[in-house]
Amino acid sequence: MHASQSAPIRVLTVDDSASMRALLLGALTSRGFAVEQCEDGQEALEWLASNEVDVIITDINMPRLDGFGLIEKLRTSALHAERPILVLTTECSEEKKQRARNAGATGWIVKPFDADKLTAALRRVSH
Amino acid sequence: MTVPAAFPAMSGTIPEAIRVTIVQGEAKASTDPRIEMSTILGSCVATCLFDPVARVGGMNHFLLAEPPSHMRHQSFDSDYGLYLMELLINEMLGLGARKSRMRARLYGGANLNPDLSPIGSVNAAFARQFLDRENIPRVFEDLEGTQARRIQFRPASGQVRARLVPSAVAPREKPLGRPQSALGTVELF
Repeated sequence: MHASQSAPIRVLTVDDSASMRALLLGALTSRGFAVEQCEDGQEALEWLASNEVDVIITDINMPRLDGFGLIEKLRTSALHAERPILVLTTECSEEKKQRARNAGATGWIVKPFDADKLTAALRRVSH
Repeated sequence: MTVPAAFPAMSGTIPEAIRVTIVQGEAKASTDPRIEMSTILGSCVATCLFDPVARVGGMNHFLLAEPPSHMRHQSFDSDYGLYLMELLINEMLGLGARKSRMRARLYGGANLNPDLSPIGSVNAAFARQFLDRENIPRVFEDLEGTQARRIQFRPASGQVRARLVPSAVAPREKPLGRPQSALGTVELF
């Protein structure tokens, strides 16, 4: 038996919207994920300095440190350089998507999200 | 919405309005003093957000889907409402607004037919709950009741004019649901 196969996938969601955090928490915990949440990029950076997760889902528009800044900073850290990071956003501009990709994002998901598609993507990138 | 970066100063004169209709499922923002957003609301709700420092305003217009009759205990499609709220906020952020400075005015949510379920009230309740959760102050609301409303909003000044109109003027709207094409599209790099 492989413990890694039965342990829940640990997800950190980073979003300044309390409503979106509540929606993600409900959708992901009900599908068996272990969910941690931060309110902006800065809080996520501080939390990730001393905590581990399998996947990060981040919004783009946030106060203090936005999603682009968060990805850039995580990619320069030894601990999170390879961590899968999915951007979950209402932005649909090609330019912003390119910017996220250049910063080192793993994937790009446009809201309103479909919980089943989101969880499939989470399982795929966390392996 | 794209707007001119620098609109010539027009001291003392009201610039000629460029009218923009906001239909159900839309969210638009602007800093242009010429823009006047307008909409007619029956059961639908419109949120007018304004950042008085950046002088950026925006409006959305939504009607959340009603659950089937055998699922009345379930909530409405609040995920879609949440999306339209986020869309509005992001449009405004893109024009220099800050969420912490935004103030909200809510309109609509009328229950036009007393024999039907109070769909307007449910939409109004969703909007109030969203704004409270996001700590966006509700500075004014003209919600529910039994009559349709016409809303005119100047996003650059935050001014709103709301009038009751005969319900026959309000379109008999059905909830649009989510945009299928973009629904949760996942692209892995």
